[in-house]
Amino acid sequence: MKIYKFTLLALLMVASFSCEDVLKVEPRQSIESSTALNSRDNILAATNSPYARLRALSSYGRNLIAFPEALSDNGQATNNSGRLIGEYQNLPGSTFNNWQNDYFAINEINLVLAALQDETVSPPLSATDKTRIEGEMKFLRALYYFNLVRVYAYDPGVSVGASDRGGVPITTTGYLRAEDALAFLPSRAPVADVYTLIYADLQTAIANLGNAVGRAPIYATKAAAQALLSRVALYNKDYATVVTNATEAFNTLGVGAFLSGNEYVSGWRALSNPESMFEVRFAVAAENIGVNESLQSSFTTIRSLDNLRNANGTLNTSSNTGGWGDLRPNAQLRGLLGVTTAGSGTGANPPIAIVRGADIRGSLYEVGPGRGAGAGIECIKFLGKTGTLYMDNVPVIRKSEMLLNRAEAYATAGSPVFDEDLARADLNQLLVARGLAAVDDTLVGSDLYEAILAQRRIELAFEGHRWFDLKRLGRDIPKPVTGGLIAYTDFRLLANIPTREIDGNANLEQNPGY
Amino acid sequence: MKRILQLVVVALLILPGGKILAQDRTVTGRVTSADDGSSLPGVNVVLKGTTLGTNTDVDGRYSISIPSSGGTLVFSFIGLRSQEAEVGSRSVVDVSMQTDITQLSEVVVTGYATIEKRSVTGSISSVKGSVIENLPLQSFDRALQGRAAGVLVQSNNGIPGGAVNVRIRGTGSINASNDPLYIVDGVQLNNTNNAAYTQSNPLAFLNPNDIESIEVLKDAATAAIYGAQAANGVVLITTKKGKQGKARFNFNYYTGVSEPLKILNVLNSQEWYQLRKEAWANSGNTLPEANTLNNMGRLPANWQTLTTAELDQIAAELPTYDWQREAWRTGKVNNYELSMSGGDDKTTFYLSGSYVNQEAIISPVNFERGTLNVKLNHKANNKLTIENSLNLSMFQQNVPFATDGSFLGNPAFATSTILPHNPIYNEDGSFNTAIAGVLNQNPIAVVAWNSGTQRTNQVVGNINATYKILDNLSLKSLFGLDYRFVNGDRYTDPRTPDGAGVSGRASAQTNWNTNFITSHVLNYSNTFASKHDVNALLGYEYRSETNEQLNGAGIGFASYQFRTIQSAATPENIVSFWTGYRRMGTFGQLIYQYDKKYNLTLTGRYDGSSRFGSNNRYGFFPAVAASWLIKQENFMQNIDFVSELKVRASWGQTGNDAIGNFSSRGLYGAAGNYNNFGGIRPTGLPNDDLSWERNVTTNIGLDFGLFNNRVSVATDYFIRQSKDLLLDQPVLWTSGYGSITRNVGELENRGIELEIRTINVDQGDFKWTTDFNFTHITNKVTKLYGGLEELPGDPSVRVGYSLGTYYTYEFAGVNPSTGRPMWYDANGNPKYQVQLADRRVIGRRVNNQADFFGGMTNTLSYKGFEVSFFFQYEYGRVVADGQYGFLLENATRLTLNTLEETAGPRWTTPGQITHIPRPYNGGPEPRGSGPTTGTAGLQKTDYIRLKQVSLAYNFNQNLIRRAGLTNAKVYVQGVNLWTYDDYIGYDPEWFGSATGIIPQSKNYTFGIQLSF
Repeated sequence: MKIYKFTLLALLMVASFSCEDVLKVEPRQSIESSTALNSRDNILAATNSPYARLRALSSYGRNLIAFPEALSDNGQATNNSGRLIGEYQNLPGSTFNNWQNDYFAINEINLVLAALQDETVSPPLSATDKTRIEGEMKFLRALYYFNLVRVYAYDPGVSVGASDRGGVPITTTGYLRAEDALAFLPSRAPVADVYTLIYADLQTAIANLGNAVGRAPIYATKAAAQALLSRVALYNKDYATVVTNATEAFNTLGVGAFLSGNEYVSGWRALSNPESMFEVRFAVAAENIGVNESLQSSFTTIRSLDNLRNANGTLNTSSNTGGWGDLRPNAQLRGLLGVTTAGSGTGANPPIAIVRGADIRGSLYEVGPGRGAGAGIECIKFLGKTGTLYMDNVPVIRKSEMLLNRAEAYATAGSPVFDEDLARADLNQLLVARGLAAVDDTLVGSDLYEAILAQRRIELAFEGHRWFDLKRLGRDIPKPVTGGLIAYTDFRLLANIPTREIDGNANLEQNPGY
Repeated sequence: MKRILQLVVVALLILPGGKILAQDRTVTGRVTSADDGSSLPGVNVVLKGTTLGTNTDVDGRYSISIPSSGGTLVFSFIGLRSQEAEVGSRSVVDVSMQTDITQLSEVVVTGYATIEKRSVTGSISSVKGSVIENLPLQSFDRALQGRAAGVLVQSNNGIPGGAVNVRIRGTGSINASNDPLYIVDGVQLNNTNNAAYTQSNPLAFLNPNDIESIEVLKDAATAAIYGAQAANGVVLITTKKGKQGKARFNFNYYTGVSEPLKILNVLNSQEWYQLRKEAWANSGNTLPEANTLNNMGRLPANWQTLTTAELDQIAAELPTYDWQREAWRTGKVNNYELSMSGGDDKTTFYLSGSYVNQEAIISPVNFERGTLNVKLNHKANNKLTIENSLNLSMFQQNVPFATDGSFLGNPAFATSTILPHNPIYNEDGSFNTAIAGVLNQNPIAVVAWNSGTQRTNQVVGNINATYKILDNLSLKSLFGLDYRFVNGDRYTDPRTPDGAGVSGRASAQTNWNTNFITSHVLNYSNTFASKHDVNALLGYEYRSETNEQLNGAGIGFASYQFRTIQSAATPENIVSFWTGYRRMGTFGQLIYQYDKKYNLTLTGRYDGSSRFGSNNRYGFFPAVAASWLIKQENFMQNIDFVSELKVRASWGQTGNDAIGNFSSRGLYGAAGNYNNFGGIRPTGLPNDDLSWERNVTTNIGLDFGLFNNRVSVATDYFIRQSKDLLLDQPVLWTSGYGSITRNVGELENRGIELEIRTINVDQGDFKWTTDFNFTHITNKVTKLYGGLEELPGDPSVRVGYSLGTYYTYEFAGVNPSTGRPMWYDANGNPKYQVQLADRRVIGRRVNNQADFFGGMTNTLSYKGFEVSFFFQYEYGRVVADGQYGFLLENATRLTLNTLEETAGPRWTTPGQITHIPRPYNGGPEPRGSGPTTGTAGLQKTDYIRLKQVSLAYNFNQNLIRRAGLTNAKVYVQGVNLWTYDDYIGYDPEWFGSATGIIPQSKNYTFGIQLSF
């Protein structure tokens, strides 16, 4: 009798295995990826992530803004925290690393674009939404590919033949299944193909997007896409396209405003810079990059301009030392800006203070209390303007750049739209707005061209342009502090592709030198 | 039927009483234990050659009627040596019974069953609770260190109740967990640290003094009964149970102090000034004196009017402050315990309570725990036994600034690196907050101002019932719970630099872990024809676990006096998560013994885990093991010096599923919010084929005893192959993902284990015993995937080499003519600046795995005195200690203090042969690599440590009996008293990057134990 009971029990144990449900545990804070993008709300939510990835440290969170200044001839590392010193010294490998973040964003974009074609989405997206989403996603995809190709490859027309390994891998397909992802072993597409894709994406964005109030500057708009295309075309030496798009972008109202005088300076104190045509938004404290690596901390030791100095005029080091101030403008850039310091605090001398010239852009620099390297002039374009210390929205494209793009296109020798009068007109519009005297028509040829580039360097200093501007022109990188020079042919002009990507993919070729 | 049986039993029981009239003598007496003089209840007392017998009562007393002619009484009890006493004409016969060591040591717990040690076929190490008793270590895993062959225990830090790294027979997995499975009284524990603000080792819930024994199941054949979870070995903890007899009380108290192991030998202000001055000069700077004083924040405003000699003089007058000694304190520990046990033949109980408060050597870190432990065992009737075990525990820890890391406010990092001329206090006694150098926080002040506590409330318990279906068939059902509630808070004071920017930050965390287990096991044992012993079991088990968390932070406090999260002006974040998994398995085991000589064990387990892909959830884990007790053979009977000889061999498979609960799933998660709108993004690729990582272990063992077991040795050789590794296989980032968890790759651990126990002297009252264990393990990756020789992105994982192999740049020393560091290039030529292609495997044995480790205990006893010394050792591990890395830079990159050991031998003059390069301001020299690059930053951790010394005195029982005591003991104990090593840094035991980790400490304790 008992033996039956025992057998029954054993059978029960085995029987419970037939019930698969016992081992079924569903996650509560995630959803199945294969069906995630099958509703309107989820697709709309999925469009936020590619924007959010622009906040990454490797993207506009810091590296795309700070590294071009450290690697080039604008910045000087202070060694206050030890950060940015490798980039400043151009150590091999101390360079951009946006590969992972940017390709992750591209995959997310590709998945959203595929979902727009999915007829089974329920509730469905309206046609208007679909058009807008396609435009925004393609704007972002163009921006990500542009940032990849200018970091990892030579720019069009200035390739160093022997070192040229092509552009970057292209994918316009999103991956959700393991077998597809594992089978994707891309090689580097030619630079021209990458530019073709960027152009096509931006043209779709321009066609699909409007300039609706409330979207600019933190979402993609038609004018932002035109503005980006004008920059892309400048890199591509396609000057006619620069002019058409810069002009339309500059003339569009409501997407960034060209400011002058005090308005321009106070624009840099606002949460969102009125000059911004496209800006990366940092909204809540949880998105803060923080005391060590944020742009504010990288560029300045000042916590706030409010109580920068004590009553006796000395710097308030005790309660106004904030970030690390790892990178300052070097003497050459300070000279271009017309800023110097006066006073030393020695004996009867007044405390150290900044002395500015006519150029109102000097107001974007200030003497900070400093850290280990002592007090000195620091860039204060990023100063916790969101209201949270170390957290700033990051302008990606400002209105003023449109004048500079266009002026350069007009002034470049051999340009199909070569016109020095128009170039001077653009240059003067900027100079006057910055409190400087206009140039007259005696400024011609390479002098005019160099003057435009110099204004570009001053206007866009500490905004992530200088390294890329020198590189796209095929110029050597001066290192004025040490008196050295990095030849344009040096392998360090191109960033190293992450080793793991090379190791795992025989089709992908590393840049030389690494 | 049942009733009739009962009647018969009752009749039999009363029958002897009925015969009293027929006898004419009564003998009484008391049976006591020779060990401690306590009374022994339940001892069988039989008149030899008759059926006349009785049992002792709870006081050990008996009364037996015997024929007037007298005779011989035989006293017997399990675990005690049987004894005979000639009655003669006595009417009172008191007996003192000895423990039978051979019999007692022969029982080991193997999971779901307890078997005789002679039947063991696999590899098991046992550690008795008494061995680790009264150590001021708050979790038993730490106490296992050096006690068992094959078990490597490394300290993660010195936080009491902090994390410990335990590896049984090497590292078997690359990405899945390598932690063993811990089981307390049948309840499988979760040992994941869920505490957000400090390390709270979940195993610290248990008062180690409540442990009766710890068994470590090492080979796959023994562990296979736990199938799916046993790949990394199993640690079985059996807690103390009640014993029959009148209630016995045990009181235990110890108190003590802890001191730093080591104070790093940092530079004084003048030495640092000189070093830094050289760095400036070497980098071509023409004002090294002024720049160095500027680095130190001591450059006078009129410096341009001063000569270099005058500047040097300023430096010469700078004071030096000892920040390390200011941060370290003498920690105190106090431990109180009271336990009570007893019972009758139907019910036994064990109750214990404890309270301990231990301070670490760094303020405010401490550990405060209260436990309550209840164990009941009740025989409801002949067939049904009900048992319960309940551990209630609460521990609280003050949180450190950080458990590790190069944080400016972390005293474990900053006090050895802060510039030494900075005063700690102002003249008025307040904290100096104007600190010069890259470390511009006063870590002493920061620690004093910040606050936080982490609390863990835990219940681990089970209730189980054993029902005897037949005489030799029983069913045991167990329901167990391991429930843990962790909560904590932390406050970053607005007076500290980190809190100033946000006007203070408060964080709070709450985490719930619910781990439920039930098992039902049929156990059958029988002996056929007196030669065939059969023991079989068949079982089912289900385990489910969920973990939930809610945490948040707020900023913006009115003042530092408002310190709780509800006072925050702005919420910073609110985070929650939920996760869970389930496992289910059936298992069976057959143990067959023939003629007490030949053993065979067959084990199989079929397990499923919710973590795996829908195609491959289940796995079958078989094992077979055999042993031969050669000593039992007739031909061995005349070889007297061999007292025991046994060979063992086993083969088995175990599984590992210790990966993320949803690693096999392709999911979209909430992430990537933009402009305050919620975002979602893909978080992983699906793998429906994901399945068990398998460990296949072959074990060969030899046990022998010589000279009546004065020397007993257990040796094992094993090959542990880990297959179908749960590897996070890198996926090209271009596809949008980082990795996918797949069953690819294989690795292997081979090792030798040796445990020796000798009784060196046993002369009268003097006894000296030695326990020694030794383990040698080599680890090797045998296969990756797709023909790869190294894991993309992690060159330390390479086919043919141990995990943690250093594939890096080989340091070629310092160029004697320039003082610059050099490394070998791919062709073996020295160069200043390394490139990826210059990397190489530094050596087959140069890796971060220990080659040899073990421990040795010597115990000497004379009358009541007992002295024991316990050494542990480890050899062959090479690490990059993060703290050392910062110090080795010699203040070139950052204005940090450094050590005499790294600054002293620096290159200063051409022709000088040394291994430390010249200092150079700004870090690496132009077109050169940094001074810690490659092997220049590596160190050996080899050490021998006097881990524990104790001296105890047991008072004479005859003396203390008058005071109503049955046992009294006083002892003094020292932990980590002495270490032999070449290691530069706080502690060679460290596991991990070791940057800013709170070090272990030396402990001295005094204790007293009373039983009554």
